[in-house]
Amino acid sequence: MSSSSVLEEIRRAEEFLVVGKGVWRIDALDKVTGRARFTSDFVLKDALHVRLVKSPIPHGRIIEIDAERALGLGPVRVFTAADIPGENQVGYALPDQPLLPADKVRYVGEPVALVAAPDEDLAEKAAELVEVRYEELPAVFDPLEAMERSDVLVHEDRGTNIAEMTRVRKGNVERGFEESDVVVENTYRTGHQEHAPLETEGAVAIPDTQGGVTVIASIQYPHLCQRITARVLGLPHSMVRVIQPYVGGGFGGKDDMGPVVSAMAALVAFKTGKPAVLVYSRRDSFTSTCKRDPSVVRYKTGATRDGRLKAIEVQIILDSGAYANRGPYVLWRATMHAGGPYEVPNAKVDGFLVYTNKVFEGSFRGFGNPQVQFAAESQLDELAERLGMDPLEIRLKNLLRPGSRTITDQLLESSVGIYEAVKLLGEKTGFRAKWREYRRERAGRVRRGIGIACGYHGISTSRGVPDWSNATVILGRDGSVTVETGICEIGQGSWTAHAQIAAEVLGVPVERVKVVGGTSDAPDTGATHASRGSSIGGIGVYVAAKRLRERLAEAAARLLECDPSDVEIREGRAFRRDSPDDYVEWEELVQAAYSMGYEMSATGYFFLPKGKFDMERGLGYAYPAFSYIANVAEVEVDLETGKVRVVRVWPALAAGRILNPVLVEGQIEGAIAQGMGYALTEELKFEDGRMLNPNFTDYLIPTSLDVPEVEAPIYVEDLYEYGPFGAKGVGEMALIPTPAAIMNAVKNATGVRITEIPATPEKVYFHLKEAGVVAGE
Amino acid sequence: MTEPRVIRFRLNGEWVQLGVAPNELLINVLRERLHLTGTKYWCGIGECGGCTVLLDGEPVLSCLTLAVDVDGREITTIEGLATGEDDLTPLQRAFIEEGAIQCGFCTPGFILTAQALLRENPNPTEEEIREYVRGNLCRCTGYVNIVRAIKRAASEAAKSRRPGPAAGAASG
Amino acid sequence: MNRFNTHIIPVEFEYHEPRTIREALELLARWGEDAKILAGGTDLLVQMKMRRVEPKCVINIKRIPELDYIREGPAGVRIGAATRLRRLERSGAIKRLFPALHRAIGWMASVQVRNMATIGGNLCNASPAADTAPPLMVYGARVKLASVSGERTLPLEDFFTGPGQTAMRPGEMLTEIWIPRQPEGTGSAFIKVARTAMDLAKVNVAVALTLKGWSAFNVRIALGSVAPTPMRAREAEAALEGRPPTEGLLRRVGDIASEEIRPITDVRSTAEYRREVTKVIVADALRKALGMVRVGGGVG
Repeated sequence: MSSSSVLEEIRRAEEFLVVGKGVWRIDALDKVTGRARFTSDFVLKDALHVRLVKSPIPHGRIIEIDAERALGLGPVRVFTAADIPGENQVGYALPDQPLLPADKVRYVGEPVALVAAPDEDLAEKAAELVEVRYEELPAVFDPLEAMERSDVLVHEDRGTNIAEMTRVRKGNVERGFEESDVVVENTYRTGHQEHAPLETEGAVAIPDTQGGVTVIASIQYPHLCQRITARVLGLPHSMVRVIQPYVGGGFGGKDDMGPVVSAMAALVAFKTGKPAVLVYSRRDSFTSTCKRDPSVVRYKTGATRDGRLKAIEVQIILDSGAYANRGPYVLWRATMHAGGPYEVPNAKVDGFLVYTNKVFEGSFRGFGNPQVQFAAESQLDELAERLGMDPLEIRLKNLLRPGSRTITDQLLESSVGIYEAVKLLGEKTGFRAKWREYRRERAGRVRRGIGIACGYHGISTSRGVPDWSNATVILGRDGSVTVETGICEIGQGSWTAHAQIAAEVLGVPVERVKVVGGTSDAPDTGATHASRGSSIGGIGVYVAAKRLRERLAEAAARLLECDPSDVEIREGRAFRRDSPDDYVEWEELVQAAYSMGYEMSATGYFFLPKGKFDMERGLGYAYPAFSYIANVAEVEVDLETGKVRVVRVWPALAAGRILNPVLVEGQIEGAIAQGMGYALTEELKFEDGRMLNPNFTDYLIPTSLDVPEVEAPIYVEDLYEYGPFGAKGVGEMALIPTPAAIMNAVKNATGVRITEIPATPEKVYFHLKEAGVVAGE
Repeated sequence: MTEPRVIRFRLNGEWVQLGVAPNELLINVLRERLHLTGTKYWCGIGECGGCTVLLDGEPVLSCLTLAVDVDGREITTIEGLATGEDDLTPLQRAFIEEGAIQCGFCTPGFILTAQALLRENPNPTEEEIREYVRGNLCRCTGYVNIVRAIKRAASEAAKSRRPGPAAGAASG
Repeated sequence: MNRFNTHIIPVEFEYHEPRTIREALELLARWGEDAKILAGGTDLLVQMKMRRVEPKCVINIKRIPELDYIREGPAGVRIGAATRLRRLERSGAIKRLFPALHRAIGWMASVQVRNMATIGGNLCNASPAADTAPPLMVYGARVKLASVSGERTLPLEDFFTGPGQTAMRPGEMLTEIWIPRQPEGTGSAFIKVARTAMDLAKVNVAVALTLKGWSAFNVRIALGSVAPTPMRAREAEAALEGRPPTEGLLRRVGDIASEEIRPITDVRSTAEYRREVTKVIVADALRKALGMVRVGGGVG
């Protein structure tokens, strides 16, 4: 199908029967009745339980692994790097990460060996008895220090601790700053964030009779798990089958960790011929899985007196921990989003991804973008302050619009709804009046403030890296519809959206559609990340369903004795547009199409058209389109305890067609809560690389009493030509500007700019004290 | 006496009897021995509420309860509420209608806790709801729709308690 | 590194379910240090999962009816040690007579934990952060300890001897908590500084005072998480005793309390911040307690 016809179709459609409606989630019934099965719910009688032997030191050579005492406990097996039949490599962007290290460990908590036993207790006790002797090496924990040092190297073969460098060079920043009337410069810091999915990482691996293995695992991309597991086992991809059961939250972490746990469980199953179960304990999930990269962002912004941005100069340093993992891509995304959703004529951005001897970092909702938007959006408020403007005004002056160019000089022709979204949001919240009032008042112990921050997020992969969609749609002889996709259901509701798309295109009630997703048996649809599950993932469903619809229209035309173009199919009936009473039931139609010889299954491969990107200058086609978001947050700050309470958040989203408002709202509300935790309470503490708080007692995710009220979102449906029905990505959006919106509100309340998150009460308290802000009488 | 003890308890309305070791946890007996996997394990130290079951109608944590300790008592798990779409409880229905479900891992614990709340307090305020469920963590929803669903279930139960629409209108 | 599997209890033990205090005490006498008393289990089982304690015998006291009661008498209220926190929270007598205790319990952990945990268990763990300790201390509560050789009572303040340490001797069990009725015109309050709604205290404080005329008497201030045990801030109390509680004085009392405490820096908070917020919440709690008396006015 040509892309233009998709677009035309969308534009023509005036009303939808299923799309845009808050239909029941297709997985809801399983989930409310307790029937939904997650990885650890697949209890196999003869399974081996697998536990990790983890490094207690941050950096050291492995001298010897002595399993004798462990093996003496009973029917125990121990596996190390030496047991890996294929390639001991699970690195994503760079080949730097072994499944189990052979030579040295690089962080506290790194799995060194796997222990398997028939029961959990024995596996646990045996794991304790595996003795690993290390020669300790000096370690480096601070990324700024690690960048400068070459005497302590996390990866010696690379000769430096800098894993990746990125850059953008647009226009002439020197001139831009010369032409600026005000220049603001600050350094921003963000901490680690743990995904804390309710369900920890896990995999069940079952050997099959042909020498392959089937893996049931908590994942976000079955085909990646398949590739990596096959690589580790030295098998052809086809010998590894991956199935995603229900997944208890992903947020990006399981995109990175899914292949690792799959390969570990599969290794045990492959070597023993028995099913193997590996479920990370909560502690493992803290100490030994990827996190959001901590960052240091140095940011200089210049603008003219009338508030027009002239130049930005940004340095982004991401702490990657022990391995690069997705870091290079995270850094690219951070780099290309460094300007915020604004027109900036001159931009110079440099990014550095730095190894340290801490747990490695990776994908997490927002993917490098929350770190830079925190800086960019704080900067904008500081600039406004200097110019005597309000935060809304300076944003409206600079926001991207159709025809604007991004900091990579990409022309945005259409689907840029942020200006309208911010305008509506400003009106709805009465932002200006409140902002002025709170700023004027600033008295008493508990101060109120309001803040705004925007964000944008390129959908699909960065820098013109190929991206595609695919799906198979199959019509059963009874008229039932099966959609097969590689997209995973991790709570976001993509399968429900897929069912809606198929139902809308085919003209059947959504209840007839069954989605089989998250399996390597389906076509490779790419990962469920980058807010692409329902949007990019949905394109394949759209295209495949469209192909079937065309065939059905032909078949119906023969039955109704008319031209296919006169056939209408809706709500399970096919009829001539001019005589709706003379119809064929859906089941009959499908059966007739079968007997007429039509193929009643179709795939919907779609390769996303992309432009070119110049890596040297960091310019060109960065993303096919962007989704946009703006949040207004209202806070209360207790000056005497430093506690910040987020009272209310108003979101506005420009992400194309809203396929299912209930699902979209859920994504927004969840992202705001997660962003608030990131901004205020979620803090991982380390001492010499050892994590001090690997539990929910001391790593604090928001509870029902901590989260703010979230007002009904404003939607600006800025349709995107290649999205299904014009949809763009949603999942990550609302988290991205949340920290900045909160800190901008804190500034409005107190007059103090906090440049470091999480802004725990303690940090806020001492910042305020230092600034001399005390409760007035 | 570390050998198994025979315990008997009412589980989702039916008496079950089995031998358990003193150090066996209720959650593992439910999940691994009785194959009721709707009860979820995720922290093991009382921080998350994922393993909530009702013990004589009150929410408790099955990951911090010895199986021997439920001898003679009544346990309700999520599997005890409904078998399918037709017999969903008002709470289960409200969770679906309000979009209170995302990944679904916290859902069983939330529904059981909310059920106990509505039994104690059939008409809770929003603040009372948030207070009562604060020990059930959710990482997906931001709690907005969960709170809304509990409110909706309460108000629907209140409607059905009224004698009839006329009487309801008369009493204001 | 691997000593943390919270999925199972990797410790084997003998299990007993006595039906009377006598039976329980006999078991304790027999097993001595090898026995642990299981009340709510919300702390003990966590410790056992992590193998911080590995008892050979577990004595479950939840099936002893004579340990589960709330009895209001003319002089005060007696509470059985195995009374669950949730029952106390819902008790009209506790809410009416000891509002700071009521508040402290309602603020603890989750409803699930409060349905399981007992007041005796909360005290016997002797955590510096135990939320029931400061209110009980300001109300002048006493605890009853029993063993096969007899009973004794002591003020709760003398019960705590260090983090996780109590004055209980081997073979002794906490059986009852007694809280005296407070004089008319008494106000009390509890405040906790925590990081989220489910959090353990960074600092908690309970206060009680009796207003006579314009002045405050019988001033008691107790703090948690700021020293090895829950503690009274006696100098701060003395500074307010017998004087009119003016705003300036309340703040000074907070400052004095902040000097008296011995906080440490841990993963939850720095010592410095604990000192700062102590100033604030002591004054806040005093204001709240005063507000209660003043509102109660003629009635109280």
